Amino acid sequence: MAAPLLHTLLQPAFPDPVLDAQRSFRAALKALAEPGVVQGLRPAHAPSPLAGLAEASHALCLALLDIDTPLWLAPAFDTQAIRANLAFHCGCPIVSARQNARFALLDSSQLHDLSGFDLGNDRYPDQSCTLLVQLPSLEGGRRLAWRGPGIQREHLVAVPLAEHFWQERESRNDFPRGLDVFFLAGHHLIGLPRSTQVAFHGGA
Amino acid sequence: MNAATQPRPRRDDAYNFAYLDEQTKRMIRRGLLKAVAIPGYQVPFGGREMPLPYGWGTGGMQLTAAILGADDVLKVIDQSADDTTNAVSIRRFFARTAGVATTEQTAQASIIQTRHRIPETPLTADQIMVFQVPNPDPLRFIEPLESETRTLHALKDYGVMHVKLYEDIATFGHIATAYAYPVTVAGRYVMDPSPIPKFDNPKLHMSPALMLFGAGREKRLYAVPPYTQVSSLDFEDHPFAPQRWEQHCAICGSEDTFLDELIVDDQGTQSFVCSDTDYCAQRVAQGRDGQ
Repeated sequence: MAAPLLHTLLQPAFPDPVLDAQRSFRAALKALAEPGVVQGLRPAHAPSPLAGLAEASHALCLALLDIDTPLWLAPAFDTQAIRANLAFHCGCPIVSARQNARFALLDSSQLHDLSGFDLGNDRYPDQSCTLLVQLPSLEGGRRLAWRGPGIQREHLVAVPLAEHFWQERESRNDFPRGLDVFFLAGHHLIGLPRSTQVAFHGGA
Repeated sequence: MNAATQPRPRRDDAYNFAYLDEQTKRMIRRGLLKAVAIPGYQVPFGGREMPLPYGWGTGGMQLTAAILGADDVLKVIDQSADDTTNAVSIRRFFARTAGVATTEQTAQASIIQTRHRIPETPLTADQIMVFQVPNPDPLRFIEPLESETRTLHALKDYGVMHVKLYEDIATFGHIATAYAYPVTVAGRYVMDPSPIPKFDNPKLHMSPALMLFGAGREKRLYAVPPYTQVSSLDFEDHPFAPQRWEQHCAICGSEDTFLDELIVDDQGTQSFVCSDTDYCAQRVAQGRDGQ
């Protein structure tokens, strides 16, 4: 009975594994190099959504994860389908302890507590965890001014996030140590590197 | 010279796209994301052996291979010339292994791999510069131990960089460092901008283009994101000043570009020409000349 189960469990990945991984990476690179600017993936070059994993989230997993990148899954994503497909297509170890993860897949229910993720250290700040945060939408939140490298003056960005997230991020951001975040919804993504300063205090 | 964009050639499918295997590309790509998030910080990466020797741009090539896509248009320059051995062979390498279009025109390129120069034509937000870097660590000249320089970077302990510049002033009366002139990126990391002349340092500051740096032998990569503050180290009484020339280009007449000195006869007669061959040819095409 294993064959029919596998047949429904495993989904196709990128239509073109080499070039679509490159396209997804370039979207991620541009997202981090221009924080707050929405980047899009063309549907023809994105994988299909996978059991609760949006196209953009799925694409970044396929483009960036492999045997060298332990992944932490929020409970919402800890399903048999996601585990089986990431194991098959990426081969990434899935870890239960946050501090062992190089990447983490989160939904909005997790953003009030970012404790435990590796922030890197002063000598090797690049070893910090990268957060892939899937949201229902990238718009509709409070408009906040983002400043820093990659931003000419300031970007006004309205990612729908609770105040808690910004407090959590600020308390763990001690440059050069810190967390880099991709916000993902549908075929779109926004990058928030640790170098970006976000004015979230005050205002409604 | 100055050919228009070459259309996409046929890819040699005996190689993976752009030569490197996919796992190596992913490793470099993850490193590049961290490099962009921490401007000026040197990310270690597992540098691969490339089919040319260290010193010929293996670091830059690995970065180019990791970012290159089928729709990119690649320009490669060596000392700002498109027609030198290093530039021609790297351009042909990617034309063959990735089947990408190549160009000599700065404005047509989406990725520009460079050794020693930033083009004179202003860059745009849709372009990525890839620098070939011999010595990524600006502190290496004073401290050979990687463990020590890493600590100095961690502590933002850059006093020794100013000592080096001061020694120039004490010996020569001015800051004599003319290339690989150290810069501070986004107020934090001191970075070696690769052996570009200090003439090009101001082009790093608030550039709309993403700048990526790859050192193949030292296995380090780093980045300057677009619109990032990049300041050259200096002193209040000896401010940073790029090179200037009293001459103008003998071919296109330009007075504000980086000029190469040529000795044209046995009597030592000098002539000066633009180092950026594409920029110079564009000006000639517009009817400028140096006479």
